[in-house]
Amino acid sequence: MESSVKRLDRDAEVPEEAFEDEIVDLDFHVNPLEDELLTYVEDDRALDKLTTEFGPTPVMGKWDAAYGIKEGQEGLFTQGRAKYAEDVHEACENIAVDEPIVNAGINNLNLQHHPVLKNAVCQAANDYMLDHFADEGMYTSAMIPKWDPDYAVEEIERMADEDNIVAAYSWFDPKVPWGNEQFDPVFETLVENDMPLLLHGSLAYWPQHSYIGDDMLTWTEVLGFDWPIHAMVTVVNMIMRGVFDKYPDLNVVIQEGGHWWVPFLRYRMDEFYEMHPEDVQITPRKMDSGETYLERAPSDYLRDNFYLCTQPFALPRRAGDAENLLDLSLADEMFIYSSDWPHQTLDPPTWFYTSRAFDEHTRERILSGNAREILDI
Amino acid sequence: MTDDNFTKVAEVGDIPEGEGEGYEIDGIEIAVFNTGDDYYAISNRCSHQRAPLCKAGDEKINAEDTWTGERGGLNAEACTVSCPWHLWEWDLETGEHEASGQRIGTFDCTVDGEDILVRI
Ligand code: FES
Repeated sequence: MESSVKRLDRDAEVPEEAFEDEIVDLDFHVNPLEDELLTYVEDDRALDKLTTEFGPTPVMGKWDAAYGIKEGQEGLFTQGRAKYAEDVHEACENIAVDEPIVNAGINNLNLQHHPVLKNAVCQAANDYMLDHFADEGMYTSAMIPKWDPDYAVEEIERMADEDNIVAAYSWFDPKVPWGNEQFDPVFETLVENDMPLLLHGSLAYWPQHSYIGDDMLTWTEVLGFDWPIHAMVTVVNMIMRGVFDKYPDLNVVIQEGGHWWVPFLRYRMDEFYEMHPEDVQITPRKMDSGETYLERAPSDYLRDNFYLCTQPFALPRRAGDAENLLDLSLADEMFIYSSDWPHQTLDPPTWFYTSRAFDEHTRERILSGNAREILDI
Repeated sequence: MTDDNFTKVAEVGDIPEGEGEGYEIDGIEIAVFNTGDDYYAISNRCSHQRAPLCKAGDEKINAEDTWTGERGGLNAEACTVSCPWHLWEWDLETGEHEASGQRIGTFDCTVDGEDILVRI
């Protein structure tokens, strides 16, 4: 019998069915080159300081991902480096992504110490993204400074008027959590402009300079667990401090903060709150409104106001286990696909086609439905 | 196919030294690598998330602005290939990824004259 031999298609990297479905990727990182980014800084005084020998982000974060990869291969640009829309198109073609939602990916910006200079980088990054992505028809998230809520409001208002700006992008971290009332003007502006708030893990806040942080010697601890802990704390802080009673239409997306913790939070938040509800009335928003309790069970806000990006998915291998976990995690309501291109933990959408855990409905919600709904695209 | 189940997939010169090429033989995806000294055939699908191993060593987008230039790649000296997605390193002789203990298929591969043959 003659064997059939054919050379494989060089470009398709994921299963064929993925190319038939619509796929929105909510976390696609662009990485402008520093010199080009700086040409967008508007204020000459800031530009002068940003172009000293130290550059725009002089403070280094702890970065030991390379220790965790054989031969010290790079983690940040494992797949390449996208500078312009055509680069993003090229990357997306291979992994069947139809609608990447791009961000400027300057995730170490909040570690820098100078608020005025950081704001200048933020302005420049947003203008760069407008020029090279939003104006090219690509959906883009605008970077907003967590360190300066007033300027965050200004940036949201400025960017919301532009075409193809569909979300605001900031970070969760171990500093002032987002439940703090200083962020109310930011929430108000986001709701007015119908934009979700994307909160990504921040390179600035690898655990460091603390007893526990300095003793984390492996990437599994640092990226795998430190970020999810801060993500969970952020989520619970926003819920318990009444953010969503005041802004019921606010949608928040946690990026790269893990997602399988949903069952843990759902049951534990409700259990604790129902046993100990009397302290909610003395949180600042409730003091203002005079309400005694949250309007709904904590798990209801988790379900309705939060979305979680899936990368890295880390799906259980047994389809039955995976299916149960997807159910308990309310995946069809809360999960949104993200690739994290070009980083080392890249997740092409392969999981959704190689595991029997996904029914048609769940797959569609995660790959495009949930994202479309909150981004209004 | 020859009597001993070897199938011709390519000719010498088709797979440049230090690179790999992917083939489907009777529905089975196989990547063939040329280390310079030898040709090796291994399952084309990484068992981690099923990346196509034949793309290991492809040039990155804007490679000149990155540190390593290529997505994974062949290590001829160690006789391994690292996956283009998450850099798991596969032993081309045994098909093993040491850290996870996972193993993928390897196939006999030989050169007969100008033909590169793989046994399924
Ligand atoms: S798919 Fe090969 S290392 Fe992940």
